[in-house]
Amino acid sequence: MKRYIDFYLTSMKIAILEQIQYRAQNYFYLVGVVVEPTIYLVVWSTIANQQGGSVGGYTAGGLAAYYIVWTLVRQMNVVFTPYGWENRIQHGRLSMELMRPMHPIHTDVSYFAGWKMVMIVFWFPLAAILTLIFKPTLNPTWLQIIVFFIAIWGAYLVRTMIFAVLGLITLWTTRVSAIFELSFALEMVLSGRFVPMTLMPAWVQHIAYYLPFQWTFYFPINALVGQPTPNQLFTGLGMQLFWILIGLGLVNLIWHFGIRRFSSVGN
Amino acid sequence: MKIIKLAWSYLRIGIANELQYRVNFFIQLLQSFIALGTGLIGLWLVFTQTTQLGGWSQPELLAVMGIYMVMGGVIQSAIQPNMQRLMDEIQDGSLDFALTKPVDGQILVSIREFRFWQLTDVVVGLVVLVIAVVQLQEKIGVWQALAFMVALLLGGIMIYSFWLMLTTTAFWLIRIWELVNLFQGLYAAGRWPVTIYPQWLRLGLTFIVPVAFAVTVPAEALTNRLTPLTLLGAFGLAILLMLLARFVWRLGVRSYSGASA
Amino acid sequence: MPNPAITVNLLSKHYKVPVREAGLKAATKSLFRRKYNSVKAVDNISFTIQPGEVVGFLGPNGAGKTTTLKMLSGLLFPTSGIPDVLGFQPSRRQADFLRQITLVMGNRSQMSWDLPALDSFELQRAIYGVPSPDFLRTRDEFIELLDVKELVKKPVRNLSLGERMKMEIIVALLHRPKVLFLDEPTIGLDVTMQRRIRQFVEEYNRRYGATVLLTSHYMADVEALCKRVIVIHNGKLLFDGDLSTLVDRFSAFKTIGVTLANGFGSFSQYGEVLNQEAGHVTLRIPREKTPEVTARILAEQQVDDLTVEDPPIEDVIEKVFAQKSAEV
Repeated sequence: MKRYIDFYLTSMKIAILEQIQYRAQNYFYLVGVVVEPTIYLVVWSTIANQQGGSVGGYTAGGLAAYYIVWTLVRQMNVVFTPYGWENRIQHGRLSMELMRPMHPIHTDVSYFAGWKMVMIVFWFPLAAILTLIFKPTLNPTWLQIIVFFIAIWGAYLVRTMIFAVLGLITLWTTRVSAIFELSFALEMVLSGRFVPMTLMPAWVQHIAYYLPFQWTFYFPINALVGQPTPNQLFTGLGMQLFWILIGLGLVNLIWHFGIRRFSSVGN
Repeated sequence: MKIIKLAWSYLRIGIANELQYRVNFFIQLLQSFIALGTGLIGLWLVFTQTTQLGGWSQPELLAVMGIYMVMGGVIQSAIQPNMQRLMDEIQDGSLDFALTKPVDGQILVSIREFRFWQLTDVVVGLVVLVIAVVQLQEKIGVWQALAFMVALLLGGIMIYSFWLMLTTTAFWLIRIWELVNLFQGLYAAGRWPVTIYPQWLRLGLTFIVPVAFAVTVPAEALTNRLTPLTLLGAFGLAILLMLLARFVWRLGVRSYSGASA
Repeated sequence: MPNPAITVNLLSKHYKVPVREAGLKAATKSLFRRKYNSVKAVDNISFTIQPGEVVGFLGPNGAGKTTTLKMLSGLLFPTSGIPDVLGFQPSRRQADFLRQITLVMGNRSQMSWDLPALDSFELQRAIYGVPSPDFLRTRDEFIELLDVKELVKKPVRNLSLGERMKMEIIVALLHRPKVLFLDEPTIGLDVTMQRRIRQFVEEYNRRYGATVLLTSHYMADVEALCKRVIVIHNGKLLFDGDLSTLVDRFSAFKTIGVTLANGFGSFSQYGEVLNQEAGHVTLRIPREKTPEVTARILAEQQVDDLTVEDPPIEDVIEKVFAQKSAEV
């Protein structure tokens, strides 16, 4: 345990040192990130205003809050992508990582955790600008704030697991981009990344409830900007935990068989 | 003339290369449909709540989406791959090979790559566009059609010029994938008519990143919104951006030769 | 006698390679049922290596060297013949095993490019859980040995290829492994840099008694480091023994260099003239004729200086493989 803490702290430190060198890059990157929710926000607040002030229970101010918090949750959600896995497997970097007495997933989780620390710092000024422009309405309770801070890390782990499972498919086949793109699209629609889930038809919300995606986007955002009951908040955290455990199990299972295959065909 | 021949041979090589990988066609087609699907879901969600968005009706927005996909396909097949290769070559110094050929350097670096299968986006986009036009139930006059084509061409030129400037200036600052990422993020704003955006964003999407001219203006031509003044403005801006891109390219080449010497 | 560090008994690795036929029909068919050819990358090889030995592992490209190294380090699962490394079965990749070995591949990097090497060292410490005092001692010792006190503070991307390789070696050895698998550690480096790396490996072996199995295209590496060599070709073991025995056995010729007093003379009657210029002649003579020819030259020519050498080891190796290919 102590060893893992030491490793995580060291790896995070390295990620931070690496990232703070790239101030210009990080801002370019963040501008790219901010554009996406701004588009959604504009579209949906236009509709809210057309409808006399609100859509799907969200006012223009509420939507602004949703999409501004979105930008933070998006940063928290950045994980080692399936394309990263594909790259690492096909270019032999996985071999070097297999030589270490530690599962590569620890490298990813710790590295991106460190990366986030830097991104959050860079994010603050952008969030301030967005707040000035779009005037969000946000008055969470203390419980909401606390749950939010737990939930963004839960979201990070859930998403890590989803994409590790997808990425590990590369151990069997090289033509994976179609699968990846399909799952990105599914996530886009079913996670609340596109629109708050309450804007979706009831049956979509129903399906989404039983899939992991919405627990990585909609749940943490709504935990802060919506009016969830304490019961809903704790259920959400529970669902995150559930998906993390499922994900862990799947990653281990696929890893077990995948590495067996990897080490029999070689790379 | 020589240039056209050269462009044609690069095109042929590009196509021949990709024809070898037929599986990629299906993958690309699937990805086009996924993009179409998410786009349609977006539209559908909007129209479950309302009947018009900022004065644009459902078929009109569908037309915007079609144009967005067509233009996106052109960018992905012909413009972006060239620019990515250019960035790669600037980084590892192999741009020398292109610059020492007896052809204009800017033209050469702009015609070398062609991703044939990416054209599935163009095809799917065109289908969407045709459906939208049928739904519009309005006759498209000859002049309208002509204005649409011209606007589309001008938009393409502007996007190209913008990408070239971005490539020749910003690569000193940032990594390639971030640049691509940034461009794609900004281009995604073209999915909707820029008129719905707040003023500051609209100005940015018109004059800094010419998404407005690439997608919205052609759509305006189709939907009877285009004023001759806008078209004239597009014409002027296209020429201005081309000249500017040329100037920036020259500067870039000079500093590149200086750096590697 | 202690237990061997590495025991390999009838080790094989066969790959199944899909047979691809031309045409769309065949391609579609192969989606459902593929035909495979079996390729024997490593074919029943056996050897043992004692703790502290430095062994050169030779063979042309595709001989099966890297495949063998990967099986010994646990990256590849053998088709048959489970190797024993330090009492472990490598492919199980137990943490205790991985902590005692290292694999260096000359073309793979483990460093963070944007940061000084010192930071990557620190990360390596955390990965292997090396206690801090040990880590600091080892690190400073290596830095001193390779003379990189200033370089470790520079971002890795600003280092030359050779400097970077020094860092890679340090990273790979920070946990003080007992067994080193070095796959082309000096590839692409200039002569001086090769020598530094070589000396370092030698010193590491001497100080810590580590076992080293090394492949290299540069025979200078092998000559300097390895008393013993193992030669494989097409997956089969051709030779296992002292480097000098290999030379004796496979080189049928010696090279005679003559410096002439009058700067001129005819030599074609003695043997094959490899080179003749500015008063210096190089001849190739069948091994068994060497004493006789030497005597004749000394008697018949005005000689300032005469040397007899074994041919470069590269030539010997090349000859081994050429002979073997002709047989196969």
